Amino acid sequence: MNSAVTHIIRFIFFVLVQVLVLNQLEIGYGVQIMVYPLYLLLLPVEMNVFSLMLVAFGMGLTIDSMSDTYGLHASSLLAFAFFRPIVFKMFAPRDGYDHLLETNIYNLGFNWFIRVFGLLLLIHHFWFFALEMFKMNEIFNILQKSIVSGIVSFLICILMQYLFIRNKKENEV
Amino acid sequence: MRNFLAFLRRFRVFLVFAALQGFVLTIYFTFVAFPRTQFLTTASSINGSILEVRNDITKHFALSENNTKLQEENIRLRKLLKDSRFPLNDLTLSDSIVLEIEDTLWEQQYDFVPAIVINSTHGKRNNYFTLDIGSDQGVEPGMGVFSDLGVVGVIHNVSRHYSVVKSCLTKDINISAMIENSGHFGLMKWEGISPRKGSLTGVSNDTDVKLWSKVVTKGSSGIFPRGLPIGKVCSKSPVEGEPLWNIEVLFSEDYRSIQRVYVIKNLMKKEQAKLENQIPTDIH
Repeated sequence: MNSAVTHIIRFIFFVLVQVLVLNQLEIGYGVQIMVYPLYLLLLPVEMNVFSLMLVAFGMGLTIDSMSDTYGLHASSLLAFAFFRPIVFKMFAPRDGYDHLLETNIYNLGFNWFIRVFGLLLLIHHFWFFALEMFKMNEIFNILQKSIVSGIVSFLICILMQYLFIRNKKENEV
Repeated sequence: MRNFLAFLRRFRVFLVFAALQGFVLTIYFTFVAFPRTQFLTTASSINGSILEVRNDITKHFALSENNTKLQEENIRLRKLLKDSRFPLNDLTLSDSIVLEIEDTLWEQQYDFVPAIVINSTHGKRNNYFTLDIGSDQGVEPGMGVFSDLGVVGVIHNVSRHYSVVKSCLTKDINISAMIENSGHFGLMKWEGISPRKGSLTGVSNDTDVKLWSKVVTKGSSGIFPRGLPIGKVCSKSPVEGEPLWNIEVLFSEDYRSIQRVYVIKNLMKKEQAKLENQIPTDIH
């Protein structure tokens, strides 16, 4: 399938999953699951940062409009898009990224994924909760929420990749 | 000029980022304070209809619980009816006045519109509920919303068919509340920690607040009638440096499973507002 079509379908899938399912799952302990940053991570590596930010902007506003957060998701997803190339460069493999391969957990390995996506997701979650509470004296609450929700979201993102993305390397062998 | 262009080119990524962030944050901070349009909220017709379809599926999960709740409320109201009271023939005059309510002596002040919550959250810092009724049913921003168990919130934003409620689980909900048996009043706030507990601020610490006394609405601003339940006092502690109690209130409504609510129309609100607007503000 054409990769553009795949990404458009994924966009709709991530928005619907976030709005219709994950926004309703409220576990307590301040856990709020947000998996849509995974979509942004899986976009092609060579995509330039402006279009990345535009995609983030569009996706964030779509989710915002359906969950009454008025721009919180858009703002934190923009931060994710802004930091993505920087973090990618920091943790680049020795011979650079293969532009043909998708940046998922199979192609780049678990170690790479946990560092890059973990860091980006933490930035995203911290940005989100800091903006939502916006008070210096709730800083511990913000940190607690972003770390706890970050861990849960991260685990679900790993699970989603194992469930929905086929491992191409395995098929070739 | 060339340096300036070079500067722009050098920092273009950051500048685009800052511009988009500025746009988004402007939306966020203006909408949280006061929404002007239905654009970008669940009150818009497309988002409203998507959420309604979802609610059509999920509402059945809590059907029996909701029926029980409604039945309990019916029983409570039925007990108030004249028919369910045993007529005492040898009443003294004062007792009979208490028992009989003459309808013509009372004018209707509050009207209630039933509604269904089609979208709700409780884990965020500010939680908004979406209702399936809108301006076509006469809903306006600023109207109160309650359920059979207690106060839910205030209407925040309205479109033709949907409306968004700013619930008791938001940072600055500020419902004026009072402790039922002592009559001391303060403002309800939410600290964002537990969806079961809010706090009542502004009660002076020279008053004796009993644990588990009821907290009800004060009814001063005409949004809620007087005496709607909010919750019960579950703990109190002194505020450092201020002569106030910090009172924790256990909400009587569990906002995590809320489905059926009522919107309050105050038929005399304009009259009250008109009168109160005549208070001169520049007296010092």
